[in-house]
Amino acid sequence: MKTDSNRLLLSGNHAVSHAVRLVKPNVMPVYPITPQTPILELITEFHAAGEMTGEIMTMESEHSAMAAAITASLTGVRVFTATASQGLLLMHEMLHYAAGARAPIVMFNVNRTLGSPWGFWPDQTDSLAQRDTGWIQYYCENGQESHDTTLQAFRVAEQILLPAMVIHEAFYVSHSMEAVEIATQEQVDAYLPEFNPPHRLDPQIGESWGNTVSQVMFQNHRRDMGDAMERVLDVAKKADQELQDLVGRGYGIHEQYRCEGAEFIITTMGSMTGTARDAVDELRAEGVPVGLLKIKLFRPFPVADVREILSGIAKVMVLDRNFAPGTGGILYQELKAALYGLKGAPEIHGYLAGVGGTNISPVNIKDMVHSAIGEKPVAHSVWKG
Amino acid sequence: MSGTVKRVPSIWTTGSTDILNTGTWRSAIAVHEKRPAPCYGACPVDGEIPIWVQQVRNEEFNAAWLTLVENNPIPAAIGRTCHRPCEGACNRTEYDGAVSINALEQYVGDMAIREGWAFPAPAQESQKMVAVIGGGPAGLSCAYQLRRKGIQVTIFDANPELGGVLRYGVPEYRLPKKMVAAEIERITDLGVKVVAGRKLTGEDLGELEKNFSAIFVAFGAHDAKRLPLFTKSDSRVLDGIDFLRSIRLDAPLKIGRKIVVIGGGSVAMDVAGSALRLGQQAQILALEGRAVMPAPEDEIEDVIEEGALLHDGAMVKAVEDLSGSLLLHCINVELDQNVSPGVIRPIEIAGTEFTLEADTVVLAIGQDPELADWEDRIQVSKGMAVVDADYKTSRAGVFAAGDVANIERFVSTAVGDGKRAAYSIARYLGHQDAVEEGFADSVKEVSFKDINTFYFPTQKPVERGKVDVDIRKAGFAEIRLGLTDEQALDQARRCFSCGSCIECDNCAIFCPDMAILKDADSPLYYKVLDQYCKGCGCCLEECPRGAMGVKEETK
Amino acid sequence: MGYEIQEEKVFNSGHAACPGCSEALALRFILNTLGKDAIAVVPPSCIAIISGPQPLSSMSIPVYQTTLEASAASAAGIKRALISKGNNHTNVVAIAGDGGTYDIGFQALSAAAERNEDIIYVCLDNEGYMNTGTQKSSATPSMAFTTSTPAGKLSPKKNVPEIMVAHNIPYMATATTGYPDDLVRKVKKAMEIKGGLRFINVLTPCLAGWGVPDSAGPKTSRLAVQSGIYPLYEVENGETYTLNYGPNGLSVADYVATQKRYRHLSPEDVELLQAEVNHDWEKLQKKFK
Repeated sequence: MKTDSNRLLLSGNHAVSHAVRLVKPNVMPVYPITPQTPILELITEFHAAGEMTGEIMTMESEHSAMAAAITASLTGVRVFTATASQGLLLMHEMLHYAAGARAPIVMFNVNRTLGSPWGFWPDQTDSLAQRDTGWIQYYCENGQESHDTTLQAFRVAEQILLPAMVIHEAFYVSHSMEAVEIATQEQVDAYLPEFNPPHRLDPQIGESWGNTVSQVMFQNHRRDMGDAMERVLDVAKKADQELQDLVGRGYGIHEQYRCEGAEFIITTMGSMTGTARDAVDELRAEGVPVGLLKIKLFRPFPVADVREILSGIAKVMVLDRNFAPGTGGILYQELKAALYGLKGAPEIHGYLAGVGGTNISPVNIKDMVHSAIGEKPVAHSVWKG
Repeated sequence: MSGTVKRVPSIWTTGSTDILNTGTWRSAIAVHEKRPAPCYGACPVDGEIPIWVQQVRNEEFNAAWLTLVENNPIPAAIGRTCHRPCEGACNRTEYDGAVSINALEQYVGDMAIREGWAFPAPAQESQKMVAVIGGGPAGLSCAYQLRRKGIQVTIFDANPELGGVLRYGVPEYRLPKKMVAAEIERITDLGVKVVAGRKLTGEDLGELEKNFSAIFVAFGAHDAKRLPLFTKSDSRVLDGIDFLRSIRLDAPLKIGRKIVVIGGGSVAMDVAGSALRLGQQAQILALEGRAVMPAPEDEIEDVIEEGALLHDGAMVKAVEDLSGSLLLHCINVELDQNVSPGVIRPIEIAGTEFTLEADTVVLAIGQDPELADWEDRIQVSKGMAVVDADYKTSRAGVFAAGDVANIERFVSTAVGDGKRAAYSIARYLGHQDAVEEGFADSVKEVSFKDINTFYFPTQKPVERGKVDVDIRKAGFAEIRLGLTDEQALDQARRCFSCGSCIECDNCAIFCPDMAILKDADSPLYYKVLDQYCKGCGCCLEECPRGAMGVKEETK
Repeated sequence: MGYEIQEEKVFNSGHAACPGCSEALALRFILNTLGKDAIAVVPPSCIAIISGPQPLSSMSIPVYQTTLEASAASAAGIKRALISKGNNHTNVVAIAGDGGTYDIGFQALSAAAERNEDIIYVCLDNEGYMNTGTQKSSATPSMAFTTSTPAGKLSPKKNVPEIMVAHNIPYMATATTGYPDDLVRKVKKAMEIKGGLRFINVLTPCLAGWGVPDSAGPKTSRLAVQSGIYPLYEVENGETYTLNYGPNGLSVADYVATQKRYRHLSPEDVELLQAEVNHDWEKLQKKFK
């Protein structure tokens, strides 16, 4: 199925816009924010050129964008929006509403530092701070992956009835140009079934959403959300596999790179992964038994997989391009929690590397590996880079 | 994690709150309730005024007339002669003036005559026979009500024709004879036997009792009161009722140029008006001040317009014979307020003496019933037959009402008395169902504060027009013009319909709980849904006319 | 004889509104006029409580309960979704309180008006945060007591009707429950004028918050109109003003006398209020042809 004719030189953001064009959402409430803006710009260009139909809503805030996205989704149509940083935080209230309403919105978030002070740099704290909202979260390392994952996200969200956030980082991914293989319309049409939920806001059906509930009803509803989130693990794997069958590209919900015989595993999310891959190659060439685990699906967190993968590994080094004051790196915390009580669990080094978009090179990573090998880990994140 | 995985979220809302019983919240519930209007309460015949006025408004004129004649068979006559306590009581008085009820009554009564509407025949005939002595308002009313129940009635009257005061007292210009004749004929057409021109006395009672199961005494009061100052034989002194009767019989008693009428009631005004129409000068000497004179204000106004001079709050103290005319020495008085009701005690105001010269003095200070030959047969007190609440005299089977037994000398009062006496007689004759529908004591009369005036834009009342004074004085043609169709409908629309539902739906429309439904099977048109009513009272508040009440509830 | 009001039963009995609630009454007229081909958006408010406890609804149409600040955006989202499916007939209505309209929801409302979203927005204005126990909103009038302005509010009510007119929306109307035929007519008119945001501000006296008896909702709303405090009017396309019911000679004193929220006012205070009302009315009056 793979053809060369769909290979374009695109920024990461534009790769996402192309995916959205192919997915044909009915409603797209949007609001500009750096560095997300190119996503919506290209979408509106496609729309203006007649390459897309559907309703574009030029909202006055991200809060309203998400509000409109939720109701449009509940009316039974496919919905897409995109945001970044402060915009995502302004949506925070509505993210809970979206998940609670089981609205399978797909949103692209471009990671950017949170104020104050003001900045425009890649940093995953914005989206990681939304980890408890009930959204599925995918972290991507390049434009190609963002393109393909956006397609997968619709498939998974609409099947599970939970919203999905696909994420890449500011500038390193969002504005970097690279060759991206764009899926064909036939491939996407074959991949994505029509979204036609049986329960929706429809006068012919007459059902309502959001009435006040009792304690027990609320608890049951949250439990149902949890059940749905659990099912995402399998559904996402399958969605990835099926896309791979169609377009020849797959990622899994996580990726192990050169983990065969590894005694030391670097764990990353997002753009840091590519750098880490180079570092692993160089370290392997040096004879260091190091591998790489990329966490792509962060919510739900693939706990069982991670425990299996890291069982028997001597050391794990987590690189966090995010920071939660008071606890440290968020992936580090998640990983520690996932591995708790595991027999033969590795020692874990948590490094805050690249926070605020500081540059982390393969050399930096190699240095960190070398020092970690010789050290006993401490119980908290350590600033690097 | 739960073992059951639901494909679709479980909490889409699919049910309706109408299964919830919010009725448990309330402590009181509004009920649709017909309540008495003040006009009804004041009406001497207990007329269902809000009902028939509403029927007029709906242009259901025959229905309006049928409602009217439930209680009053002579609306054309009463529509001209009633003293109108209804209008005095009307809740609209406080707002922008009473509804012109009396004019509306005339309008419907006249229409019935014009259209030739007849009373329905009695559903069933009874063999019981009742003698009615006196064919005036009380006798006619009683005879009519008895005939409606199928009872056989014979009216005995001293005059050549029935009608009493309506035919022989009230002047033509206030009540045309043809109207009286038409309404009486309609009653006699129900099968009433009439023995006219025969004056029965107490002597005849025994004979009547042999032939009739009950006797109704209603021959009125025709013994004119006299003042000791005037000699009975003096041809310059006349009794008002004799004078009026003589005009009705087209043989007017001779009067002089200058007439002084003594009295403040309707008879005095009628005498003055008639004298003026005969081309003479009339002065009226009334004991009461104008505001409290027994005659209705419009009747006083009429004669003053026509040229009568009114000396109110004054009395004659002495009479001086000027050989030819009489000179009345008069003085202004005020009435002592510290007396028991019914007693009048004038207090002279020193220095206000004046004189009036009269060729003829007409006394119109009231009449007494002629009961001299009845006194040993039925109990008589203070010049009137004594009756109980059921109009029963002291003699079994003998009933009395109207002027003969009531100090209130109004034609409409006599009609009401006659009606109620008929019900009593019917019960006496075994018709136990002859009971008038009324209101329970617990049901309160509608007051002005019960009216939601928002629903009634202000609109002034319209009274009947009057013929020009010069034309009036030239003869005995009727002086009041009836309402036009448009005027009548306008007036009918002004009626608040106090206490009587007109199905405006406000109660249902303003219910935030949709707890009131239109219900064709309910006598009061609506059903309150017990399970939903929270007892807020909006229906009660928004009812324009006080046709709802509250029922307290204890749970 | 009475009001001629055609209703299609959408609003159900058994709802949880207080006895005599004006909002419930307004909902009745609005929903039963909109009919069943409609979807409603309701933010947190008494309206949301009245909507019903899960799994029951007092409204026989789909209702989505959104967040307090998002009503207009949420309604717009539904409308756009319907349009994208080719449905141009279903009416989408946001029904929010004054807090959700004048205060926290105003940004979304203004933006929806600017985009001229094809929705009907109804504000049930009871002049305060009544659901939370009578706190001041920007719809609370001068000097009124609320639990957050215990000495009386120091600033006048925000004039959202005129602000909405300034958006040049196709239709803006003020209405109230004491004039149900007028309210129903305005809802119908809003339904007929498609293709833009239609805004209706409905004054709904809060019995508890204003301190009036359970039965006095409609009466109090009429006093507001008759005293000139709340004229009923409508504006088309931001320029054509029509007065429906204006002051009829009642004074502000007549209005405030019946409400406990004003019982702390001195005669001088009432005069100041009267002057404010006179001023506003004179200003508004100039706009009527």
